Amino acid sequence: MTTDARFAADAEAHRRDAPRFCPRCATGLAMATEFWEADDRRFYCSCTGCGWTGEITTTGAVAAGHEPEH
Amino acid sequence: MLTAEQNDELTQVEAGTPMGEVLRRYWYPVAFTRELEEFPVKRVELLGEFFALWKSPSGRMGIVPEACPHRKASLAYGVVEADGIRCPYHGWVFDADGNCTEQPAERDNTQFQDRVKAQAGRVEELGGLIWAYVGPHSESQPAPELPRFDTYVMDGYRDIGWTDLPCNYVQIMENAVDPHHVEFLHGRYFEFVGKHEGFTAPASFGKEHMKIGFTAFEWGIIKRRVLKGASEENDDWKVGHPLVFPYNMRVGGGGIHQMQIRVPVNRTTTRFYLYTVHGPDGYEQVDQPQIPDYELPLIDSRGRHVTNYVEGQDFMAWVTQGPITDRTTEHLGRSDIGVAMLRKMFREQMEAVARGEDPLGVIREKHDRIDLPCEKDKFHAGGAQFALDFCDMGSTRYSPMLDTIKKIHISAADKVAAAKAG
Repeated sequence: MTTDARFAADAEAHRRDAPRFCPRCATGLAMATEFWEADDRRFYCSCTGCGWTGEITTTGAVAAGHEPEH
Repeated sequence: MLTAEQNDELTQVEAGTPMGEVLRRYWYPVAFTRELEEFPVKRVELLGEFFALWKSPSGRMGIVPEACPHRKASLAYGVVEADGIRCPYHGWVFDADGNCTEQPAERDNTQFQDRVKAQAGRVEELGGLIWAYVGPHSESQPAPELPRFDTYVMDGYRDIGWTDLPCNYVQIMENAVDPHHVEFLHGRYFEFVGKHEGFTAPASFGKEHMKIGFTAFEWGIIKRRVLKGASEENDDWKVGHPLVFPYNMRVGGGGIHQMQIRVPVNRTTTRFYLYTVHGPDGYEQVDQPQIPDYELPLIDSRGRHVTNYVEGQDFMAWVTQGPITDRTTEHLGRSDIGVAMLRKMFREQMEAVARGEDPLGVIREKHDRIDLPCEKDKFHAGGAQFALDFCDMGSTRYSPMLDTIKKIHISAADKVAAAKAG
Protein backbone atom coordinates (compact mmCIF):
# COMPACT_ATOMS: atom_id res chain seq x y z
CA MET A 1 0.00 0.00 0.00
CA THR A 2 1.34 3.43 -0.97
CA THR A 3 0.70 6.15 1.60
CA ASP A 4 -0.48 9.53 0.37
CA ALA A 5 2.07 11.94 1.85
CA ARG A 6 -0.21 14.96 1.36
CA PHE A 7 -2.37 13.83 4.26
CA ALA A 8 0.21 12.43 6.65
CA ALA A 9 -0.92 14.95 9.29
CA ASP A 10 -4.52 13.70 9.11
CA ALA A 11 -3.33 10.12 9.41
CA GLU A 12 -1.27 11.06 12.46
CA ALA A 13 -4.21 12.91 14.02
CA HIS A 14 -6.35 9.85 13.49
CA ARG A 15 -3.80 7.60 15.12
CA ARG A 16 -3.56 10.06 18.04
CA ASP A 17 -7.27 10.69 18.58
CA ALA A 18 -9.18 7.56 17.54
CA PRO A 19 -11.07 6.26 20.60
CA ARG A 20 -9.39 3.20 22.03
CA PHE A 21 -11.90 1.91 24.56
CA CYS A 22 -15.63 1.26 24.59
CA PRO A 23 -17.57 3.95 26.55
CA ARG A 24 -19.88 1.27 27.91
CA CYS A 25 -17.67 -1.69 28.86
CA ALA A 26 -14.11 -0.29 28.44
CA THR A 27 -13.05 -3.14 26.20
CA GLY A 28 -10.52 -2.13 23.54
CA LEU A 29 -12.31 -0.87 20.42
CA ALA A 30 -11.40 -2.93 17.38
CA MET A 31 -12.63 -0.44 14.80
CA ALA A 32 -13.14 3.32 14.76
CA THR A 33 -13.77 4.74 11.30
CA GLU A 34 -13.18 8.49 11.17
CA PHE A 35 -15.27 10.74 8.98
CA TRP A 36 -15.85 14.47 8.67
CA GLU A 37 -19.05 16.50 8.96
CA ALA A 38 -18.41 20.19 8.37
CA ASP A 39 -15.76 21.07 11.00
CA ASP A 40 -16.44 18.00 13.10
CA ARG A 41 -14.21 14.99 13.17
CA ARG A 42 -16.39 12.01 14.01
CA PHE A 43 -15.43 8.45 14.87
CA TYR A 44 -17.94 5.73 14.08
CA CYS A 45 -17.14 3.13 16.71
CA SER A 46 -18.35 -0.31 17.54
CA CYS A 47 -17.43 -2.60 20.40
CA THR A 48 -17.10 -6.28 19.62
CA GLY A 49 -17.20 -6.97 23.36
CA CYS A 50 -20.63 -5.60 24.33
CA GLY A 51 -22.05 -4.54 20.95
CA TRP A 52 -22.16 -0.80 21.70
CA THR A 53 -22.16 1.26 18.53
CA GLY A 54 -22.00 5.02 18.32
CA GLU A 55 -20.23 8.13 17.17
CA ILE A 56 -17.63 10.00 19.20
CA THR A 57 -16.59 13.47 18.14
CA THR A 58 -13.82 15.85 19.14
CA THR A 59 -15.04 19.24 20.37
CA GLY A 60 -11.96 21.27 21.31
CA ALA A 61 -11.98 23.51 24.38
CA VAL A 62 -15.12 25.47 23.53
CA ALA A 63 -18.46 24.01 24.58
CA ALA A 64 -20.68 25.52 21.90
CA GLY A 65 -24.40 25.91 22.37
CA HIS A 66 -26.97 26.87 19.82
CA GLU A 67 -29.85 29.27 19.69
CA PRO A 68 -33.02 28.23 17.94
CA GLU A 69 -34.74 31.06 16.07
CA HIS A 70 -36.73 33.18 18.52
CA MET B 1 -10.02 6.86 7.95
CA LEU B 2 -8.44 3.87 9.65
CA THR B 3 -5.06 3.06 11.11
CA ALA B 4 -2.61 1.16 8.94
CA GLU B 5 -3.05 -1.90 11.18
CA GLN B 6 -6.83 -1.85 10.78
CA ASN B 7 -6.54 -1.43 7.02
CA ASP B 8 -4.13 -4.33 6.91
CA GLU B 9 -6.40 -6.58 8.92
CA LEU B 10 -9.49 -5.62 6.92
CA THR B 11 -7.97 -6.43 3.55
CA GLN B 12 -6.21 -9.71 4.31
CA VAL B 13 -7.42 -12.88 2.61
CA GLU B 14 -4.69 -15.36 3.54
CA ALA B 15 -5.20 -18.41 5.75
CA GLY B 16 -4.44 -17.76 9.40
CA THR B 17 -5.39 -14.07 9.28
CA PRO B 18 -8.64 -12.98 11.01
CA MET B 19 -10.32 -11.91 7.77
CA GLY B 20 -8.87 -14.82 5.81
CA GLU B 21 -10.49 -17.17 8.29
CA VAL B 22 -13.85 -15.41 7.89
CA LEU B 23 -13.59 -15.70 4.10
CA ARG B 24 -12.87 -19.42 4.35
CA ARG B 25 -16.39 -20.03 5.75
CA TYR B 26 -18.07 -19.33 2.39
CA TRP B 27 -18.53 -20.97 -1.00
CA TYR B 28 -17.05 -19.28 -4.10
CA PRO B 29 -17.55 -19.76 -7.86
CA VAL B 30 -14.28 -21.07 -9.27
CA ALA B 31 -15.20 -22.14 -12.82
CA PHE B 32 -17.95 -22.09 -15.38
CA THR B 33 -19.75 -25.41 -15.72
CA ARG B 34 -18.72 -25.58 -19.37
CA GLU B 35 -15.03 -25.35 -18.50
CA LEU B 36 -14.84 -28.75 -16.82
CA GLU B 37 -16.93 -30.22 -19.62
CA GLU B 38 -14.34 -28.98 -22.11
CA PHE B 39 -11.37 -30.12 -20.01
CA PRO B 40 -11.79 -31.90 -16.69
CA VAL B 41 -9.12 -30.26 -14.56
CA LYS B 42 -8.43 -26.60 -13.84
CA ARG B 43 -5.88 -24.67 -11.84
CA VAL B 44 -7.74 -22.34 -9.50
CA GLU B 45 -6.47 -19.47 -7.36
CA LEU B 46 -8.71 -18.56 -4.45
CA LEU B 47 -7.98 -16.56 -1.30
CA GLY B 48 -4.30 -16.48 -2.14
CA GLU B 49 -3.92 -20.26 -2.51
CA PHE B 50 -3.72 -22.49 -5.57
CA PHE B 51 -5.89 -25.56 -6.05
CA ALA B 52 -6.59 -28.30 -8.57
CA LEU B 53 -10.27 -28.54 -9.44
CA TRP B 54 -11.42 -31.67 -11.26
CA LYS B 55 -14.47 -33.53 -12.50
CA SER B 56 -14.45 -37.26 -13.14
CA PRO B 57 -16.17 -38.92 -16.11
CA SER B 58 -18.94 -40.03 -13.72
CA GLY B 59 -19.55 -36.41 -12.70
CA ARG B 60 -17.83 -36.50 -9.31
CA MET B 61 -16.01 -33.24 -8.55
CA GLY B 62 -13.20 -32.40 -6.19
CA ILE B 63 -10.81 -29.64 -5.19
CA VAL B 64 -7.44 -30.16 -3.51
CA PRO B 65 -4.44 -27.91 -2.87
CA GLU B 66 -2.40 -27.77 -6.06
CA ALA B 67 0.83 -29.21 -4.65
CA CYS B 68 0.89 -33.01 -4.45
CA PRO B 69 1.68 -34.07 -0.85
CA HIS B 70 4.37 -36.37 -2.29
CA ARG B 71 6.93 -34.04 -3.90
CA LYS B 72 4.81 -30.95 -4.61
CA ALA B 73 4.30 -31.30 -8.36
CA SER B 74 1.11 -29.67 -9.61
CA LEU B 75 -2.07 -31.72 -9.42
CA ALA B 76 -3.61 -29.16 -11.78
CA TYR B 77 -1.73 -31.12 -14.48
CA GLY B 78 -3.11 -34.35 -13.07
CA VAL B 79 -4.87 -37.19 -14.84
CA VAL B 80 -8.58 -37.21 -14.05
CA GLU B 81 -9.72 -40.78 -13.45
CA ALA B 82 -12.90 -42.50 -12.34
CA ASP B 83 -12.64 -41.68 -8.66
CA GLY B 84 -10.08 -38.96 -8.34
CA ILE B 85 -7.09 -37.14 -9.67
CA ARG B 86 -3.76 -38.86 -10.36
CA CYS B 87 -0.55 -36.87 -9.93
CA PRO B 88 1.23 -36.64 -13.29
CA TYR B 89 4.64 -37.09 -11.62
CA HIS B 90 4.49 -40.46 -9.77
CA GLY B 91 0.85 -41.46 -10.09
CA TRP B 92 -0.48 -40.97 -6.58
CA VAL B 93 -4.29 -40.73 -6.63
CA PHE B 94 -6.49 -38.52 -4.43
CA ASP B 95 -10.26 -38.90 -4.21
CA ALA B 96 -12.89 -36.18 -3.66
CA ASP B 97 -12.40 -36.43 0.11
CA GLY B 98 -8.65 -35.95 -0.29
CA ASN B 99 -7.82 -39.54 0.62
CA CYS B 100 -4.73 -40.92 -1.05
CA THR B 101 -6.05 -44.10 -2.67
CA GLU B 102 -3.02 -45.17 -4.69
CA GLN B 103 0.76 -44.90 -4.39
CA PRO B 104 1.89 -47.10 -7.27
CA ALA B 105 5.58 -47.31 -6.37
CA GLU B 106 5.06 -48.01 -2.64
CA ARG B 107 4.56 -51.34 -0.86
CA ASP B 108 0.89 -52.16 -0.27
CA ASN B 109 1.32 -52.95 3.39
CA THR B 110 2.46 -49.49 4.45
CA GLN B 111 0.17 -47.04 6.26
CA PHE B 112 1.88 -44.34 4.32
CA GLN B 113 -1.30 -43.49 2.41
CA ASP B 114 -3.07 -42.45 5.59
CA ARG B 115 -0.36 -39.91 6.37
CA VAL B 116 -0.71 -37.94 3.17
CA LYS B 117 -4.35 -36.91 2.99
CA ALA B 118 -4.82 -33.89 0.72
CA GLN B 119 -7.11 -31.48 2.67
CA ALA B 120 -9.90 -31.61 0.09
CA GLY B 121 -12.55 -28.93 -0.15
CA ARG B 122 -16.12 -29.40 -1.35
CA VAL B 123 -17.45 -28.77 -4.85
CA GLU B 124 -20.95 -28.33 -6.26
CA GLU B 125 -22.52 -27.04 -9.47
CA LEU B 126 -25.25 -24.40 -9.40
CA GLY B 127 -26.60 -22.09 -12.07
CA GLY B 128 -23.88 -22.72 -14.64
CA LEU B 129 -21.06 -22.18 -12.14
CA ILE B 130 -18.83 -24.59 -10.23
CA TRP B 131 -18.63 -23.59 -6.58
CA ALA B 132 -15.96 -24.55 -4.08
CA TYR B 133 -15.68 -24.46 -0.31
CA VAL B 134 -12.07 -24.64 0.93
CA GLY B 135 -12.61 -23.86 4.59
CA PRO B 136 -12.57 -26.07 7.67
CA HIS B 137 -14.87 -29.08 7.78
CA SER B 138 -14.95 -32.45 9.44
CA GLU B 139 -17.34 -35.31 10.11
CA SER B 140 -18.65 -33.57 13.22
CA GLN B 141 -18.78 -30.12 11.59
CA PRO B 142 -19.39 -30.58 7.87
CA ALA B 143 -19.06 -27.81 5.29
CA PRO B 144 -21.99 -25.38 5.26
CA GLU B 145 -24.63 -25.58 2.53
CA LEU B 146 -24.07 -23.77 -0.75
CA PRO B 147 -26.60 -20.89 -0.56
CA ARG B 148 -29.12 -21.21 -3.37
CA PHE B 149 -29.72 -17.47 -3.87
CA ASP B 150 -32.69 -16.57 -6.07
CA THR B 151 -30.68 -15.48 -9.12
CA TYR B 152 -29.05 -18.90 -9.47
CA VAL B 153 -32.30 -20.86 -9.48
CA MET B 154 -35.00 -18.56 -10.89
CA ASP B 155 -36.51 -18.86 -14.37
CA GLY B 156 -35.05 -16.59 -17.02
CA TYR B 157 -32.39 -16.19 -19.65
CA ARG B 158 -28.88 -16.14 -18.19
CA ASP B 159 -25.51 -14.78 -19.09
CA ILE B 160 -22.31 -14.16 -17.18
CA GLY B 161 -19.84 -11.34 -17.81
CA TRP B 162 -16.55 -11.37 -15.97
CA THR B 163 -13.21 -9.67 -15.58
CA ASP B 164 -10.18 -9.85 -13.30
CA LEU B 165 -9.57 -6.64 -11.41
CA PRO B 166 -6.15 -5.77 -10.01
CA CYS B 167 -7.38 -4.62 -6.61
CA ASN B 168 -8.49 -5.86 -3.22
CA TYR B 169 -12.11 -7.01 -2.96
CA VAL B 170 -12.93 -4.82 0.09
CA GLN B 171 -12.86 -1.58 -1.89
CA ILE B 172 -15.29 -3.19 -4.32
CA MET B 173 -17.57 -4.20 -1.46
CA GLU B 174 -17.41 -0.68 -0.04
CA ASN B 175 -18.85 0.51 -3.35
CA ALA B 176 -21.90 -1.68 -2.65
CA VAL B 177 -22.81 0.53 0.33
CA ASP B 178 -22.14 3.79 -1.47
CA PRO B 179 -25.39 4.94 -3.12
CA HIS B 180 -24.15 8.43 -4.04
CA HIS B 181 -21.58 7.17 -6.52
CA VAL B 182 -24.38 6.29 -8.96
CA GLU B 183 -25.41 9.92 -9.31
CA PHE B 184 -21.89 11.00 -10.24
CA LEU B 185 -19.97 8.05 -11.68
CA HIS B 186 -22.92 6.70 -13.68
CA GLY B 187 -24.69 10.06 -14.02
CA ARG B 188 -22.55 13.16 -14.36
CA TYR B 189 -19.40 11.32 -15.51
CA PHE B 190 -21.36 9.11 -17.94
CA GLU B 191 -22.91 12.25 -19.45
CA PHE B 192 -19.41 13.79 -19.80
CA VAL B 193 -18.06 10.70 -21.55
CA GLY B 194 -21.16 10.56 -23.75
CA LYS B 195 -20.74 14.18 -24.87
CA HIS B 196 -17.20 13.45 -26.00
CA GLU B 197 -17.91 10.08 -27.59
CA GLY B 198 -21.24 11.03 -29.17
CA PHE B 199 -23.87 9.11 -27.23
CA THR B 200 -26.58 10.00 -24.75
CA ALA B 201 -26.16 8.61 -21.26
CA PRO B 202 -29.29 7.19 -19.57
CA ALA B 203 -31.01 9.96 -17.60
CA SER B 204 -32.16 7.72 -14.75
CA PHE B 205 -28.62 7.22 -13.43
CA GLY B 206 -28.07 10.92 -12.83
CA LYS B 207 -31.03 11.53 -10.53
CA GLU B 208 -30.22 13.45 -7.37
CA HIS B 209 -30.14 11.58 -4.06
CA MET B 210 -32.43 13.05 -1.41
CA LYS B 211 -31.91 10.44 1.28
CA ILE B 212 -29.88 7.26 1.82
CA GLY B 213 -30.21 4.53 4.43
CA PHE B 214 -28.72 1.19 5.42
CA THR B 215 -30.24 -1.72 7.30
CA ALA B 216 -28.29 -4.69 8.58
CA PHE B 217 -30.14 -7.96 7.95
CA GLU B 218 -29.49 -11.69 8.01
CA TRP B 219 -27.52 -11.73 4.74
CA GLY B 220 -25.66 -8.42 4.96
CA ILE B 221 -26.74 -4.80 4.51
CA ILE B 222 -29.73 -3.43 2.58
CA LYS B 223 -28.95 -0.19 0.79
CA ARG B 224 -31.78 2.30 0.30
CA ARG B 225 -32.14 5.61 -1.49
CA VAL B 226 -34.79 8.23 -2.23
CA LEU B 227 -34.13 9.98 -5.53
CA LYS B 228 -35.43 13.39 -6.53
CA GLY B 229 -39.05 13.11 -7.62
CA ALA B 230 -39.59 9.90 -5.66
CA SER B 231 -40.57 9.11 -2.08
CA GLU B 232 -40.10 6.47 0.57
CA GLU B 233 -42.94 4.62 -1.12
CA ASN B 234 -40.77 3.90 -4.17
CA ASP B 235 -38.95 0.58 -4.46
CA ASP B 236 -35.51 2.21 -4.16
CA TRP B 237 -36.29 3.00 -0.52
CA LYS B 238 -39.08 0.62 0.45
CA VAL B 239 -37.25 -2.46 -0.84
CA GLY B 240 -33.69 -1.35 -1.70
CA HIS B 241 -31.12 -3.97 -2.57
CA PRO B 242 -28.57 -5.85 -0.51
CA LEU B 243 -24.88 -6.26 -0.11
CA VAL B 244 -24.73 -10.00 0.48
CA PHE B 245 -21.92 -10.54 2.96
CA PRO B 246 -19.04 -10.90 2.41
CA TYR B 247 -18.52 -10.69 -1.36
CA ASN B 248 -21.77 -10.23 -3.33
CA MET B 249 -24.31 -7.61 -4.20
CA ARG B 250 -27.83 -8.39 -5.44
CA VAL B 251 -29.16 -5.78 -7.81
CA GLY B 252 -31.69 -5.50 -10.59
CA GLY B 253 -34.77 -3.80 -11.95
CA GLY B 254 -36.92 -3.82 -15.05
CA GLY B 255 -37.05 -7.62 -15.21
CA ILE B 256 -33.29 -7.97 -14.85
CA HIS B 257 -31.99 -9.87 -11.85
CA GLN B 258 -28.32 -9.75 -11.12
CA MET B 259 -25.79 -10.95 -8.60
CA GLN B 260 -22.53 -9.06 -8.66
CA ILE B 261 -19.93 -11.51 -7.40
CA ARG B 262 -16.53 -10.31 -6.24
CA VAL B 263 -14.28 -13.29 -5.55
CA PRO B 264 -11.06 -12.56 -3.63
CA VAL B 265 -8.62 -14.48 -5.84
CA ASN B 266 -5.73 -13.11 -3.84
CA ARG B 267 -5.16 -9.97 -1.83
CA THR B 268 -4.83 -7.71 -4.87
CA THR B 269 -6.84 -9.57 -7.50
CA THR B 270 -10.61 -9.88 -7.57
CA ARG B 271 -12.53 -11.98 -10.07
CA PHE B 272 -15.67 -9.99 -10.85
CA TYR B 273 -18.71 -11.83 -12.22
CA LEU B 274 -21.95 -10.23 -13.34
CA TYR B 275 -24.41 -13.08 -13.12
CA THR B 276 -27.52 -11.86 -14.90
CA VAL B 277 -30.96 -13.37 -15.34
CA HIS B 278 -33.33 -11.72 -17.78
CA GLY B 279 -36.83 -12.61 -16.61
CA PRO B 280 -39.25 -9.72 -17.18
CA ASP B 281 -42.99 -10.03 -16.59
CA GLY B 282 -44.33 -11.76 -19.69
CA TYR B 283 -41.10 -13.73 -20.23
CA GLU B 284 -41.54 -16.82 -22.36
CA GLN B 285 -39.03 -19.62 -21.85
CA VAL B 286 -36.11 -19.53 -24.30
CA ASP B 287 -33.98 -22.66 -24.58
CA GLN B 288 -30.47 -22.21 -23.29
CA PRO B 289 -28.32 -25.34 -23.53
CA GLN B 290 -25.27 -23.49 -22.22
CA ILE B 291 -24.96 -20.25 -20.26
CA PRO B 292 -22.70 -17.85 -22.19
CA ASP B 293 -19.76 -16.31 -20.40
CA TYR B 294 -17.74 -13.43 -21.78
CA GLU B 295 -14.91 -11.21 -20.65
CA LEU B 296 -15.70 -7.55 -20.01
CA PRO B 297 -13.22 -4.96 -21.28
CA LEU B 298 -11.19 -3.19 -18.64
CA ILE B 299 -8.40 -1.31 -20.47
CA ASP B 300 -8.34 -0.04 -24.07
CA SER B 301 -5.45 -0.12 -26.57
CA ARG B 302 -4.14 3.20 -25.24
CA GLY B 303 -3.91 1.82 -21.72
CA ARG B 304 -6.92 3.77 -20.45
CA HIS B 305 -9.90 2.33 -18.66
CA VAL B 306 -12.93 1.67 -20.84
CA THR B 307 -15.51 3.95 -19.22
CA ASN B 308 -18.31 4.23 -21.73
CA TYR B 309 -20.41 1.57 -19.99
CA VAL B 310 -21.71 1.33 -16.43
CA GLU B 311 -19.56 -1.45 -15.04
CA GLY B 312 -16.45 -0.15 -16.81
CA GLN B 313 -16.92 3.06 -14.82
CA ASP B 314 -17.07 1.06 -11.59
CA PHE B 315 -13.94 -0.89 -12.59
CA MET B 316 -12.11 2.39 -13.20
CA ALA B 317 -13.06 3.77 -9.78
CA TRP B 318 -12.17 0.57 -7.90
CA VAL B 319 -8.88 -0.09 -9.67
CA THR B 320 -7.65 3.51 -9.56
CA GLN B 321 -8.09 3.48 -5.78
CA GLY B 322 -4.94 1.32 -5.84
CA PRO B 323 -4.24 -2.40 -5.33
CA ILE B 324 -5.06 -1.89 -1.64
CA THR B 325 -6.50 1.54 -1.12
CA ASP B 326 -4.81 3.73 1.50
CA ARG B 327 -7.49 4.12 4.17
CA THR B 328 -5.04 5.91 6.48
CA THR B 329 -5.32 9.07 4.37
CA GLU B 330 -8.86 8.82 2.98
CA HIS B 331 -11.41 11.49 3.92
CA LEU B 332 -14.85 10.04 4.49
CA GLY B 333 -17.93 12.19 4.94
CA ARG B 334 -21.36 11.57 6.46
CA SER B 335 -22.47 10.20 3.08
CA ASP B 336 -19.96 7.35 3.56
CA ILE B 337 -21.63 6.06 6.69
CA GLY B 338 -22.54 2.83 4.88
CA VAL B 339 -18.83 2.18 4.37
CA ALA B 340 -18.23 2.58 8.11
CA MET B 341 -21.11 0.21 8.80
CA LEU B 342 -19.66 -2.43 6.47
CA ARG B 343 -16.24 -2.21 8.13
CA LYS B 344 -17.96 -2.74 11.48
CA MET B 345 -19.68 -5.81 10.06
CA PHE B 346 -16.38 -7.23 8.77
CA ARG B 347 -14.81 -6.68 12.19
CA GLU B 348 -17.74 -8.30 14.02
CA GLN B 349 -17.50 -11.37 11.83
CA MET B 350 -13.76 -11.71 12.55
CA GLU B 351 -14.68 -11.83 16.23
CA ALA B 352 -17.46 -14.35 15.62
CA VAL B 353 -15.11 -16.72 13.80
CA ALA B 354 -12.45 -16.29 16.51
CA ARG B 355 -15.10 -17.41 19.04
CA GLY B 356 -15.76 -20.52 16.94
CA GLU B 357 -19.10 -19.30 15.59
CA ASP B 358 -20.36 -19.23 12.01
CA PRO B 359 -20.14 -15.75 10.51
CA LEU B 360 -23.07 -13.92 8.93
CA GLY B 361 -24.76 -15.67 6.04
CA VAL B 362 -23.31 -19.14 6.57
CA ILE B 363 -26.23 -21.51 6.16
CA ARG B 364 -26.33 -25.08 7.40
CA GLU B 365 -30.00 -25.91 6.72
CA LYS B 366 -30.94 -27.60 3.45
CA HIS B 367 -33.05 -25.28 1.34
CA ASP B 368 -34.41 -24.85 -2.19
CA ARG B 369 -34.10 -21.12 -2.69
CA ILE B 370 -33.12 -17.99 -0.80
CA ASP B 371 -35.02 -14.90 -1.94
CA LEU B 372 -33.19 -11.63 -1.43
CA PRO B 373 -34.92 -8.25 -1.25
CA CYS B 374 -34.35 -6.27 -4.44
CA GLU B 375 -36.23 -3.35 -5.96
CA LYS B 376 -38.09 -4.00 -9.22
CA ASP B 377 -38.77 -0.42 -10.27
CA LYS B 378 -35.14 0.69 -10.31
CA PHE B 379 -34.61 4.46 -10.17
CA HIS B 380 -38.39 4.64 -10.91
CA ALA B 381 -37.28 4.58 -14.55
CA GLY B 382 -39.90 2.20 -15.95
CA GLY B 383 -39.36 -1.52 -16.53
CA ALA B 384 -38.64 -2.11 -20.20
CA GLN B 385 -36.85 1.22 -20.71
CA PHE B 386 -34.53 0.49 -17.80
CA ALA B 387 -33.85 -2.97 -19.25
CA LEU B 388 -32.99 -1.62 -22.70
CA ASP B 389 -30.78 1.11 -21.24
CA PHE B 390 -29.13 -1.59 -19.18
CA CYS B 391 -28.48 -3.68 -22.28
CA ASP B 392 -27.06 -0.82 -24.33
CA MET B 393 -25.21 1.10 -21.64
CA GLY B 394 -24.15 -1.70 -19.33
CA SER B 395 -21.97 -4.78 -19.66
CA THR B 396 -24.69 -6.72 -21.51
CA ARG B 397 -23.63 -4.87 -24.68
CA TYR B 398 -20.68 -7.29 -24.75
CA SER B 399 -22.83 -10.40 -24.41
CA PRO B 400 -22.69 -12.73 -27.40
CA MET B 401 -26.46 -13.07 -26.88
CA LEU B 402 -27.28 -9.33 -26.82
CA ASP B 403 -29.84 -9.48 -29.65
CA THR B 404 -31.66 -12.41 -28.06
CA ILE B 405 -31.73 -10.63 -24.70
CA LYS B 406 -33.15 -7.40 -26.15
CA LYS B 407 -35.81 -9.36 -28.01
CA ILE B 408 -36.76 -11.06 -24.75
CA HIS B 409 -37.39 -7.70 -23.06
CA ILE B 410 -39.20 -6.16 -26.03
CA SER B 411 -41.48 -9.14 -26.62
CA ALA B 412 -42.24 -9.44 -22.90
CA ALA B 413 -43.15 -5.74 -22.74
CA ASP B 414 -45.34 -6.11 -25.83
CA LYS B 415 -47.06 -9.11 -24.30
CA VAL B 416 -47.77 -7.26 -21.05
CA ALA B 417 -49.03 -4.20 -22.98
CA ALA B 418 -51.29 -6.38 -25.11
CA ALA B 419 -52.69 -8.09 -22.03
CA LYS B 420 -53.42 -4.69 -20.43
CA ALA B 421 -55.07 -3.39 -23.61
CA GLY B 422 -57.12 -6.55 -24.05
